[in-house]
Parts: sequence; C-alpha cells; structure tokens
Amino acid sequence: MNRLHRLRAPLALAACAGLLAACSSGGGKTSSSQLVYTSVDATNPITAGAPMNPFNASGNYFPSYDTMQLGFDKQNPKDPDDFFPGLAASWTISSTGITVKLQPGAKWSDGTPVTPADIKLSMAIALTQGSATVGAGFLTQGLDVGSVTEVDASTVQIDQAAGGTNLNFARLVLGQYIVPSSVYGSLVPSSIWSTIDDLASADSATASAAVTKLNAIGKAVSAFSPAKDVSAGPFVIARVNPGSAELTRNPDFYALSKIVPSEVILRHFSGNSDIWGYMKSGELDSAPYTSMPTNILDSVLKTGYTRVDSASFVDAAIAFNESDAPYGQAAVRQALAYVIDRQAVTKVGEPVGGTAASDLTGMVESATKQWLTPSQISSLNPYSPDQTKAASLLTGAGFKKSGSQWLLPDGTPWKITLQTVSGFSDWNAAATVVSSELDSFGIPTQVKLTSDFATYKTDMAAGKYAVGFWLIALGPSASAAYQRLYGQDDGYTANANGTVTHADGGGNWQHTPTSYTVNGTAIDPGLLTAQLATLSATAQQTQVQQLALATNEQMPVIPIWDYTNVNFTYDKRFTDFPGASSPDINGLMYNQPGVWMMQGYVKAK
Amino acid sequence: MKTLIRRLLPKLAAGLVMIWAVASFTFFLVHALPGNPGDAAYENYILAGMPPEQAQAKVASIYGFTSHDPLLAQYRGYIWRLLHGDLGQSISYSGVPVTHVLRAAAPWTIFPALAGLIIAFLVGTSGGALAAVKRSSRWGGVLSMSGSFFAGIPAFVLALVLAFLFHTEWNLLPYGDTSDVTLTPGFNGPYIASVIQHAVLPVATYALLAYGGWLLTMKSSVISVLGDDFILAAELRGLHPRTRMRYVSRNAILPMFTMFALSIGYLLGGSVLVENVFDYPGLGNVLFQAIGARDYPLMSGAFLLITVAIVLANIVADLLYTVIDPRVRR
Repeated sequence: MNRLHRLRAPLALAACAGLLAACSSGGGKTSSSQLVYTSVDATNPITAGAPMNPFNASGNYFPSYDTMQLGFDKQNPKDPDDFFPGLAASWTISSTGITVKLQPGAKWSDGTPVTPADIKLSMAIALTQGSATVGAGFLTQGLDVGSVTEVDASTVQIDQAAGGTNLNFARLVLGQYIVPSSVYGSLVPSSIWSTIDDLASADSATASAAVTKLNAIGKAVSAFSPAKDVSAGPFVIARVNPGSAELTRNPDFYALSKIVPSEVILRHFSGNSDIWGYMKSGELDSAPYTSMPTNILDSVLKTGYTRVDSASFVDAAIAFNESDAPYGQAAVRQALAYVIDRQAVTKVGEPVGGTAASDLTGMVESATKQWLTPSQISSLNPYSPDQTKAASLLTGAGFKKSGSQWLLPDGTPWKITLQTVSGFSDWNAAATVVSSELDSFGIPTQVKLTSDFATYKTDMAAGKYAVGFWLIALGPSASAAYQRLYGQDDGYTANANGTVTHADGGGNWQHTPTSYTVNGTAIDPGLLTAQLATLSATAQQTQVQQLALATNEQMPVIPIWDYTNVNFTYDKRFTDFPGASSPDINGLMYNQPGVWMMQGYVKAK
Repeated sequence: MKTLIRRLLPKLAAGLVMIWAVASFTFFLVHALPGNPGDAAYENYILAGMPPEQAQAKVASIYGFTSHDPLLAQYRGYIWRLLHGDLGQSISYSGVPVTHVLRAAAPWTIFPALAGLIIAFLVGTSGGALAAVKRSSRWGGVLSMSGSFFAGIPAFVLALVLAFLFHTEWNLLPYGDTSDVTLTPGFNGPYIASVIQHAVLPVATYALLAYGGWLLTMKSSVISVLGDDFILAAELRGLHPRTRMRYVSRNAILPMFTMFALSIGYLLGGSVLVENVFDYPGLGNVLFQAIGARDYPLMSGAFLLITVAIVLANIVADLLYTVIDPRVRR
C-alpha cells in the first residue's frame, strides 16, 4: 500500500501526459482545412513580439500574402518599372508621375473597398519613413511624392514634387505597402500634405520643421501595433506565434478564384540549417534561397523537392582597399585575378547557389549580357587562371620572386591577410581555397575572421582591412550595381548641380580613383555612375558599357561567383509551381509565393 | 520573521548596488561594440536578397529610433528611465517597448529552462546518491561515467546532435516554435500537449547539460557525509539502512539547494546557445538577434533581466539555506 502511495504522483503525471498526447490530434484547431501551404518568408521573418505592421522594421507582415503593394517587381535589369500587377490593375507612367487604375473589386478583409484615399494615406506614410529630406536629396533620391489626386473611385494619380527628377519614381510608388486608412488613418494628421509641401519650401527653417514633423509621425506609425490584420491580399493573418504565422484565405480578395490554398503557414528560421531541416522532413511546399552544400542539396532532392534556378543579382567578390599598397596598382589586382581559379573556389564556396563569375564587369552575367553588345562581351578579359600572365604583370610592376615567395617592389615579402566574417560559411570555405591558391603561387595568405558583419563593415570603413570579401552587383539595375563600386558606398556624392565630388574616407573603404583610362579615353567612374541615376534605362547604355569595360580592365574587385537564386518547390500537396521555363521567372522567384498564386500558379494536387 | 527581514535587507541593498553596477557596465559594453544598428540592418537585408532601395527604406525606418545623443547623456537617460521601470524602446523593433519584447519572450525561456533544471536536479541528485552508495559496483561506475560524459559535452554540440537526430533525421519532434500555430492558445489539451511537444528538445538539452553536474556534485557530497561520525554512530546503533540513507541524503543535499537556486539565474544566460540551435523563441534568441542588430536598448534590457535573475537567485539561495539548515540560523 505504501509503495502504491509513493507511485501515485508519477502515475498521475503519466496519465496526464497520456491524456494530452491523446488530445493532441483532436480539436482546438482554428481550421480543419486540408489545403495548407507551408513556406518560409526569408526577407520578412517572423519576429516574436513584433506588431503586424509593414512599417515596423521587424514587423510581422508578409508581402503578397497579406500585405499588398500596387505592383511586385519583375527584376528586369533594363526596365525598372516592369512589375506584376498588385492592387494596381494597370498604370501609365509620365515624366511627372504615375496614374494607377486599381483592381476592380479590390477590398480589405473587413469588406470595405480599397480606395484612392488608402493610396494617398499610404504614400504619405511612406514619406514619413525616413524618405523625408530637404533639398536636392529630396528631389533626386527618395520617394519624392508631391501630390496624390483621386481621378475617380478607382483611379489615382501620384505626382513627383515640383522639380523632381527621380527616374525610379514610378518603381518606388509601385513598390510601396498599401495600408487601410480605417486602421492607420488616425495616426496621421489631416494636415500632413501641407507639411509635405513644406519640404520643398525655400525657407530652410520651414523645410526642416517639416522633416521633424514627418519623422515624428513616422515613428508613431512604425511603433503602432494594430489589434488585428486588415489585409487586401489573398490571405489575412489569423495568428502569429513566436515561431510561425497562420494566414487564412481572404474571402474579400479581388482574385479569389486564383487562390487555391485555404491557409498558409509561414515558419520562422534563424539559420539555413533550419530550412534544410524543414525540407528534409517535407514540411515546406516551397522554400526560399538558402546557401547549402552539395550533400544537403542531394538529400533535399531525394526528399522530392524540385530545384528552380533564377538570377539573383548579387556577386561575391574579393575587394581591395586601394589606399593600402600595393592594391592601388591595377596590375596587382589583375595579377591576383589571374591567380585565383574562380571555378575551383566556387565549387567549394557556393557549389549549389553560385556560378563562377565569367564576365567580371561589376554586374552579374545575366545583366552584362543585356547591356553589352556581343562584340563588347567577347572583348572582355575573362581572366582565366594563368600564373604566367600573373607573374609577368607583377614583374612588370617591379615585384620580384625570391625562391618560392613574391617580394614587394621595396624587397619586403608580400603577405596577404584575407578578411572574412565568422558564420558566413560560403565566404569562409572560399577563402581557404583562395588562400591555398595564393600560397602555392608564392604569396603567403592568411584567412582572418571578423566576429560579425556589423563589426566587419565598421572595420572596413575604418580602413583596417586591405583585402576582404564583399558583396557587389546589387540589384537588377546597372545603377544600383555601380553605386556599390563608384557611388555613395565608395565616397562619391552626386550634387544637385550635376557634378560629383569624391571624399576619400569617412565610411567608404575601397578608395577607387576618380579617373580611369580605358582604351586611351579617360573616364570618371563616379560621374558616370551618378549620371545613371538621372538617365532613363534606354539612355543608360553608353555609360553602362563604359563602366563595364573599365571595371573589367581595372579590376577594383575580383568577382568570384554570381549568386544563383535557388528556390525549391515540393509537389506532394500542390502542383503547377513556376518553373525554369515560366515567363518572368526571375521576378516570380524574387517574390513570395503569394505573387505566384495571384499569377495563377499553385494548384491543388 | 524579524531575523529573516534583518538578513534580507542588507542583501537586497547589495543586490540593488550590484544591479546598478552591472546595468552600467553592460550599457557601456554594448555601446562599445563596433557597428551601428543602421549598418548592421542594411547589410543583413542585402544578404537576405532585398534590393538596395528597399533595404535603405527599411534602415531609414529604424534610424529615428537610434539615439544620436552623446553617450553620457544616453547613459543618464537610461538610468533615469530604469528608475521609472522603463527599459526604453527597441531599435530593431522600430520603437516597440523593450519590456514588451522581453515579456513576450520570457515565458519561453523560463518554462523550458526551469523544467530542464528540475528534471536534471531530481534525476541527477538521485543518481549521484546512488552512485555514491554503489560506488564500488559496476552500476555506480556507469552512473559516474554518464555524469562525466554529459558534464563534458559543450551545450552547443549536444543541442545540435539532438536537433539533427530527433528533428532533421528522424522527424520525431517539432522545432522552431512554441506550439502548433493552428491551435487556439489557452488551457486546452491539444494546445498544452503541443507546447510540451515543442519544448521537449530544449528541455532535454537543459536537463542533460545540467544532469552531469548534479550527479557528480551529489555523489561527492554523499561520499563526504558517509564518512561523518554521525553516520558511523547511526550504523553502530543498528539503524535501518533506509533511515541512514535518509540522514545522508538530507545532509548531502543541503549545498545542492544553494546551487539549484543559483542555476536558475545562470540557465537564463545559457539559453542563448540552446535557443539559437533550436530556433526556440525565448530570451536567449532575442538577445542573440539584438546583438546582431546592435539593438542597444534591447541588449541592455536582456542583460539586465539576466542580472536581476542571478542576483535574486543568490538572495533566495541565501535565505533558503537559512531556512533549511538550522545551524546557519544560529
């Protein structure tokens, strides 16, 4: 009896556990739907405790699922205004602005229609999110909205501020988050448009006061936590857990017939291995890009996933601080480009999500092919591995070889410290191969890790690293790609009068020169890059070609691989996913599956 | 009662001074980290594949929440707000109060860490007592070996192995959340079962990590008590071995209670690694993200919470010792 008495507590616990386990497959679910689409939103991860607000930097909002834009970017390098329709069914772009026709029947999930007033409010809010600056910056860089006019109940005209010359204006407008005035309206004073007008005031005090007011409104909007999600997208958030979100189909969505899943579950992730784990157990219907080694790729494919490759418009490169000898010499950078076998490095560093850089123009290969003529492409130096050419270039620059070691022109041994970041597994693996190749060529190379990326960036800006890994060729547009090399990131400032000044220091670190001589012609890369921002895509051709040829010759960076946007789809529960042959595949894969569904993809199996 | 209060007051005062000192130290420490919230966020967005203009816009939205005052002025403001119970606004959460973020995450650290600690304590101390008594037998050796084995495994490695085996390889246990999101939170069977199921891996990690320490310490404590005169006297008096064992256990477990209270505080600090591996959304995960984002107010708030937990655990341990060991009260 005594023994039984002692066993009572453990038995009770075991009974409770059994009961709970028995209940676990039973009721309590918010939905018994069979058509649950599960994925991960890598660019908008779920953040525990954050509000359901697209203007919050960590907000729990999911573009194309619940959060809508007027359109969704197709990632077209030569046409920045090429978008999939979102809340805008169509649009016309003029020199002063954009006129948008809203989707017929567009409604919020509370049943009220999406109106021009919602668009007007959303544009005003967008201006409070750090875009509000005075002077030339306001008119050339940000979302320089001057007015939003209701043309009719479903048409709205959005114009740039007087004097605005931003060629990306339409693109910026189309990409803004549109929020309901019934939820966000109370956060924005009715006088906001007169405050926005004040930004362009000739009186600097008035303009500065307007910036202060708008920023204060922006802070209130960012920190706002709506009680529930009111969405105009195909889904609406039902619940956000600390590690996942449940979205249910929005019965008021304007194209409901195209949306097959009745529910979407988005999982949180903190590292690539989380996504690999979800895929290995077949939990995800589609998975975003993750850097992965070949053995993981094999196991994922074995589970039944289909790989979909598209362009990603980012390059991993080795960059130089040109103010640090001997990296200011083009011959040195060119010689190193001949020593590094990019195929071999990519095979180890990014075997699945990368292809060895081939054109070395400062843009990814797919963009280079669109901007340059075939004859220009064939004239590019591919820098195929060639140690003889490397040695010849170095000898010509005054370097000598003593035994197996290269010496600098002053006779001291040349050693390289190749800097990379802890946790960036692809860069680190690549760095070991580069180091080994340089070692065997006669330049002892040490790989050094910085603890995290924030420290890396700060140390680079402070000029602490001579050679390090760096991301280049950002974004589909040539303008964005060259900004990374010869724009603000490298100390160039575009002035309102059309000139460009270069401050060699203060945050930039590559210290590229203000002038290159290419084929006997002197060019100013900073000026050309600044001009790209003021020219239409069709008028940019000459500048882009000059910059591409100059970059190929001068090698301010050695591109190692173009990242490939490798996504995965799993057709066990759904079918008709976008595939390699789908039109606009780059844009589809760049966007979340909500866009795929709006385009008619993703059907029940 | 008066004695208790007399003992408590100086400890509370010392605890407050300690909290102020640690809060000040961590404030300056986190601000000394290289990098700033804007730069950290921008490059992270780029790495996630966001186009530069969108990344710039997102960074602009957190810029307004980053203080640009001189550091000493920021420190004065921080201490003043602390005195009013305000931990400030998170930068990476665009102005959401730090207390809100910590409050949302705290239960998901306290529950698994405490559960793991209790399991480890119960199993470890029982195993330690057994290993001491049976130290000459094969079972005693196996128990001691198991203690040394788990005490020697780094937290990160153990968590990775459990995650790989039980989630990735065998798909037996969930991962990366606190419950099935489709279940309605509340006091209902399916939800509670789901919470328990999702907590199994972190709880098992905490328990296995702490188990070895408890076992080995308890074993050595029991061996030490077994050699005491009063045990010899009890044996000579012919007391039943179970009664003798009760005497031994009660005396041997005294230092364990102090360690138990202290462990609660330290477990909160140790949650950073475990939660990161399991992507379990507790305080450790919040702190990890905050460091990467250079979210100074959130980092300071999380460090402060850990400090307060450790200081309070110390005070409770001291008081507990007074209560359970009458000799200390003399």
